[in-house]
Parts: sequence; structure tokens; C-alpha cells
Amino acid sequence: MSTNVAPRMIELVHVERSFRRADGTDVKAVNDVSFVIPEGEFVCLVGPSGCGKSTLLQMLAGLLEPSDGDIVVGNKPVTGPGPDRGVVFQKDSVFPWMRVIDNVEYGLKCRGVPAAERREIAWTYLKHVGLSHVERAWPRELSGGMLKRVAIATVFANGGRVLMLDEPFGALDYVTRHQLQDVLLNLWNADGAGTRRTVIFVTHDVDEALSLADRIMVFRSGNKVDDIAVKVSRPRTTDSLLLPEMVEIKRKLLHHLGLDHAAGLDAVADEAVA
Amino acid sequence: MKLGARVVRDRWISLGVFIAIAAIWQVLSVIYTVEAVPGEPMVAGWQVLFTKTFLSMADYWAGGLGVPSVAEGADRSYPAAALSLADHSLQTIIRLASGLVVGGGIGLALGLAVSWSRWTRRLVDLPVQFLRTLPLLAMVPLFQLWFGTNIAGEILFVAYGIGVIVFAGTVNAVRNVPSIYIDNARALGASRLTLYRTVILPAILPEMRSTVLLSLGTGWGAVLGAEYLGAQSGLGYVIVYAQQFAYLDRMFLIALLFIVYTSISYWGVSKLTARMLDWAPPSQRL
Repeated sequence: MSTNVAPRMIELVHVERSFRRADGTDVKAVNDVSFVIPEGEFVCLVGPSGCGKSTLLQMLAGLLEPSDGDIVVGNKPVTGPGPDRGVVFQKDSVFPWMRVIDNVEYGLKCRGVPAAERREIAWTYLKHVGLSHVERAWPRELSGGMLKRVAIATVFANGGRVLMLDEPFGALDYVTRHQLQDVLLNLWNADGAGTRRTVIFVTHDVDEALSLADRIMVFRSGNKVDDIAVKVSRPRTTDSLLLPEMVEIKRKLLHHLGLDHAAGLDAVADEAVA
Repeated sequence: MKLGARVVRDRWISLGVFIAIAAIWQVLSVIYTVEAVPGEPMVAGWQVLFTKTFLSMADYWAGGLGVPSVAEGADRSYPAAALSLADHSLQTIIRLASGLVVGGGIGLALGLAVSWSRWTRRLVDLPVQFLRTLPLLAMVPLFQLWFGTNIAGEILFVAYGIGVIVFAGTVNAVRNVPSIYIDNARALGASRLTLYRTVILPAILPEMRSTVLLSLGTGWGAVLGAEYLGAQSGLGYVIVYAQQFAYLDRMFLIALLFIVYTSISYWGVSKLTARMLDWAPPSQRL
């Protein structure tokens, strides 16, 4: 990690978050998590549901306060939500009362960017995600996949240096999910090496993590249990997923998810070492 | 189109029911001939309502516009009756509209204040919840003693009746705004004021529409109550005056007029807000 030349973008130091259950007992959703993410890295957070990965993302977004520990993004401690960090939510977040183009412009408008300029920016990203033909449509006229495209265009247009996506494609069908993965990667790549945005992508889909990430962090019951670098070059295809090193990572991930049988690890000793 | 045909059929059914009710009333007026006082039947038939009763409205005409009033020695005339009804209706509608603007505005502002911050919630919530439980009609004599026959008192009474409903509706509607939209706006950099202007207000609109329609019903009732306070004009005044002489047909005529006005106001609010809800799915625009 210390050999990394890119500056630190995100730093978590002993971050904890507990919730009080209805019966009065405390549950630790996130337990003593620390990590550093350099600028421009594409990181996937993987883990079974309830492992704390979404809670972690909410805290990074500033929508939830940590019970303990520090979160620093771009050298500034996180105290609340801000346009330096864009979020694509799992549920549909596109405002139904604004036309598509107004949705994409929303963040820019909040920050007082002049009308002509923000329209230009919004238009550019809308074209990037392939939705220039529905610019004036109401969101109710769009499909689930198109709404996700609008949400992605919105956070990219807003210009945050960190993008966080919380299981964004979980509810979409196979084809749409893969199309949107491409849309996301293309937008991310379009910035060019050295100026790419930092992406944190929460997913429970192992293959999705393998085809997107530079680095995969695995969470289980609120703890970070593994941190794996994925060095396979881009663009990745279905064949990339069959490379021996990919298969090895996939085995590890499936093991962490408790799917030893699927990973063919029934008789193999626990070999996952961070 | 199938849907279109169904709408047309529904309209014919509504019209049929309407005519049936009118016919039953007419039959009732023939078979039930009891009179409250001599010459004043309990149930006045349509032939009476649209001639003698309507003409009697000329009694409430103050004169002017070249149409002499009964008090000036003229006979009851249809122009005087029509002008009289129009004038008193206008008085009532002005009171209702002013009350709607004042009460709706204050109710909305206080309702939004409940969710604005912890402090505004503490300041507003309990006192208004308390005010809300006061029975509206029991407040009539209170307002009468406080404001006398001043028009401000009548408007305030209507505003109060409408305001508490709009307040409750606003609090509820804000509570129902999906948190995803609020999170999204905050993450995109919206300030609290921007959040309320661009997210909360449009998001509560579909629910506020039914709240306003509900409060409008109360508003029409409240404006009548306010005019009982001793106003010297307005449809409520005509009813109070008619009650003193047991003019049942006049009261009934005004009640009919109320039905017409209430329907028109419902229709107007519906049309107006339907345009603002272009974005909403059809189920929220009904």
C-alpha cells in the first residue's frame, strides 16, 4: 500500500457504527474498520447482506454518523453530505417531478452554476449514458435501467471526485446490468488515467466485483475480513473471468461468503490470508 | 375506446341519480303538505323555489345599478333577486377565498416548520396540535365576542377552520416523503431551503391536493358559521334572516346554491392542481 504513488483520497480510521435494536441491545453494523483508498481507484465492497457494507457507504456519504472513528475524504473530515461525494442509491432516487435533464442538472443548480453552463454539462453526460433522446421526458416514462442511467449521469455531472454506488444494479435484469456496468466503466475511463474519479461500489455479486474492481474488500458481520487487489488488465471480458488469477480470487470470495461448496473448497483448509 | 365509453356511461348514471333525487323531492312536496307557519311549506316544490322563493331574494337587495330595492318601494323583480344573490354570493366567496389564502398559507408554513428543525418542531407542534382539538363550531360565539361583526373576524374564523386541516395534512404529507429523495438531494449538495423548495414541496403536492379539497369542504361550512356571527351580508346572513321567519324555502334555495358553489370550487381546485401534477402517475392525479 505504501508503494502507491496516487495521493490518498479516502481514509478510514477505526470506524465503528452501532444500532440499537428494538429489544434494547446494541448491534455493531460496522466494527473497527480502517483502510486507505488512493485517488482514482475502483474499489468494490463485497459481503453477504447485513455485513455493514451499505452502512459504511452511508457514513462515507455523510448521511449517517459513525459512532466512533474518523473518516477523511480528500483531506477533509466528513461531517455531512457534500457534492464532493456523489451517491447512486440502490432504490430509484430520480426526482419524479423534474424532467430528465432537470434531474441531471440538479446538483449543479444547487451550487449556483449558470443555466447555460449547467445545461451544457448535463447534456454531455446525458449523451454519454445514451439518454439524449429522452431529455424532456418525465421519469415515470422511463424504465428501471434508464432511471439508473439518469442517476449515474446526475452524479457524474455534479463533478464529485468520489463516487459511491450502493448495489446500484441489484434490481436490474442480466442484460441491463451488464450494459450499465459498461456505461459506468466508460464514464470512469473517459476522465483519462491520472484524473479518474475514485469509485466505491457496493455489491453482493461476485462476478460484478471481479469485472469492475481494481481492488475488492470483503466484509462479514461488520468486519473487513479481506482486501484483494485485482490486477487483471482492462477491458475485461467474460474470458478475463476465466483467467487463473481471477478464478483464484473468485474462490476466495465465495469462501468468504460461505459458499465453499460452490468454490470447490469443501476439503480444502482455510487458506484465506489477508 | 373502452375507457371513454365507461366514463360516458358513468356520467349518464350520475345524471340519472341527480334527476331521481330532484323528482323524489318534488313528489315529497306534493304528498307532505305540512306547513311550518301558514304559507310556508316544510318541503317546497321546484315550481315554488324557482319563482316565489327566487323572487323573494329581491328583499335582500340593497339597491343600486339602476335596479331599485324593495326597501325603496319597488316591487320584487327578477333582476333585483338575481343581483341580490350575486352580491351576497360574492361577499361569501370573498370571505372564503381570503380565509383559504390566509389559513392555507399559515397551515402550510406551520406544517413545514414541524419538520424543519428540532427547535421549530418544539415551538409549533404542541400548540397547534392543541388548537386543532378545539371544536370549530364551539368557537363561533367566541369569535363573535372577540371580533364582533368585523369582516376580519369572519375571515379569521374561516382561516382557522382551514388552517388546522392544512397543518395536519402538511405534517402527514412531509412524513410520507420517501427518504431516498431527501438523501439524494442532500448528497447532491442541496441546502435545507433548497431541499424544501425543490424536493419537499413538490413531493407533498399530490397529498396536499386532497388535503386542500378536504379543507375546502370545511371552509364552506366555516364561512356560513362565520356569517351567523352577525354579518350584514353574505349567504349565511340570508339564511339567518330566513330562519327568524321560518322561510324554509329560502333556506333550501341557499343550500342548493351552496351545493353548486362547492362543486364548482372542487372542480376548480382539481383542474388547477392537475396541471401541476403532470409528472405524477395517473393514480395520483385523480
